[in-house]
Amino acid sequence: MKLLETVGLTKKFGGLVACDSVNLHVEEREILGLIGPNGAGKTTLFNCVAGFFPLTSGSIYFNGQDIGRLDAPARAKKGIVKTFQIVQTLRLMTVLENVMVGAFCRTSNVATARQEAEAVLEFAGLVDKRDVLGAALTIADRKQLEVARALATKPKLLLLDEVVAGLNPTEIQVALDMVRRIRDSGITIVMVEHVMEAVMSVSDRLVVLTSGKKICEGTPQEVSCDDGVIKAYLGERYHARSQ
Amino acid sequence: MSLRQQTLTKIAQKWDMATITRWGVFALVVAGALVAPLTIFKAPFHQHILIMVLTYGAMATAWNIIGGLGGQPAFGHTVFYGVGAYITGLLFVNWQITPWIGMIAGGIVAVLVSIVIGLPTFRLRGHYFAIATMGTGQILLQVALSAKTITGGPLGLPIKVLPQGLYVFQFHGTKLPYYYIILGLFGLTFLVQYLVQQSRLGYYLRALKESHEAAQSLGINTTYQKLLALGISAFLTALIGGFTCQYLLFVDPVHVFAMSVSAKIMLCTILGGVGSIYGPILGAVLLLTLSEGTRAWLGGQGRGVDLFIYGSLILAVVVLEPFGIVGIYRKLRSRLVRRSKSETA
Repeated sequence: MKLLETVGLTKKFGGLVACDSVNLHVEEREILGLIGPNGAGKTTLFNCVAGFFPLTSGSIYFNGQDIGRLDAPARAKKGIVKTFQIVQTLRLMTVLENVMVGAFCRTSNVATARQEAEAVLEFAGLVDKRDVLGAALTIADRKQLEVARALATKPKLLLLDEVVAGLNPTEIQVALDMVRRIRDSGITIVMVEHVMEAVMSVSDRLVVLTSGKKICEGTPQEVSCDDGVIKAYLGERYHARSQ
Repeated sequence: MSLRQQTLTKIAQKWDMATITRWGVFALVVAGALVAPLTIFKAPFHQHILIMVLTYGAMATAWNIIGGLGGQPAFGHTVFYGVGAYITGLLFVNWQITPWIGMIAGGIVAVLVSIVIGLPTFRLRGHYFAIATMGTGQILLQVALSAKTITGGPLGLPIKVLPQGLYVFQFHGTKLPYYYIILGLFGLTFLVQYLVQQSRLGYYLRALKESHEAAQSLGINTTYQKLLALGISAFLTALIGGFTCQYLLFVDPVHVFAMSVSAKIMLCTILGGVGSIYGPILGAVLLLTLSEGTRAWLGGQGRGVDLFIYGSLILAVVVLEPFGIVGIYRKLRSRLVRRSKSETA
């Protein structure tokens, strides 16, 4: 069952085509990795799907429904939530309050929101930091919090933008473990990631973007052997087989 | 453990020393506010200062909802103040409608004005909202000055003096009823602010103040939440406008639509502590005592000295302690706590 499908998704910034008629779909309960060199249009694609950028052309279907005209908050209510590459921790609010803001997406009751936020903190392993201000967190904790806050909105589709970038190997394992546990709880995940070990090990399927175009799609195994992908990453000159 | 013991420990847990102290201080302040004009501040001039403190305290508290909690640059709250005053005055002068209803009507009109300002500008980033709030004040000032047949133009709108009573909202010879009414209005504003802060709206405002994008990504319709906060703030400010109309028995267009009123409202909050629920009234106590006090003590010679003094105060706050009086208090407290800890260790 396709949870998300984009058809000819195109986003232009003036003359620059950031996403060039991208067709992609996400199956329910899978982890889809989105990779590609810097400037390939991965984050732009996320922003289009999450409703932060209006599309230049093309359409987006979520659960079979055209959501192209909904704004970001409306899409979050539908169940599409993205985290930010540059973490948007609410610095003047505590960890618990940060997550409560997410939980308010499904309830207007403060006590309920607090309970749900506490459950999410438990899940994310942030319980002992619940009363710490956002400003006082390490980058690893902020990335965890970013995910926890998005989880609290009870999404169906979670778009994770570089959640392990800048973390040390131990922290990466913790983060990846959480990604798997999120999927096991029934949430579909699309993740943009540059750390190849991470994205290869956790993804069910990969989509590769270069200069706004989808050049390859398949299992991590297939993608890592694909000629086009290797060329895109290494360049024509260093691509061993093309010599 | 018996049931009685359980309930007792529950009560003991809920009422620890900090909570008892907090409620004790709160009760003392309320009692003090109730008896102050009957005991220490019997002189009409002193009572006038108290009324001004509460008037600006209430408006600053209302402003704090959108400007402090929500962090929106609402530079023109005098618009709502003026609308409240004019609607209350006009309804009474033309149709003898009691100012109590007039105040609420003024509040409703103020909410409509806030929607007109907020709906187009809250969608945009940057300073459009700030400019719109300032601009609306100037437009309404020109309207009030030109529509002479309705508003009395530059001469203002005098309220007909009638035999005193609660219904006509007029009291002659004593300021006490005005004091208790404005105390009640301040109480209402403070309560609303507290409830907003504790509710989902309060969390949403704090979130969108820090990061618009994070807020939107979490399903917050930022435009709607800001409109809601501005509407609540506008309604409360208009009530105070209606009160002032009855207190002065005169609506002066240049006063009620003056930029300086907006500035004073914001300065009270900034001086006291932006975003804190006690900040606005603390700022109002300091600022209004200073400005009304210096104006009286220095008489005609001292014109503008009050502005000079609180201009310097604001500079000091911005440079030394951006969270104002509340910020100074918090720093002192944490220093004391640290010292007592190191002594016991």
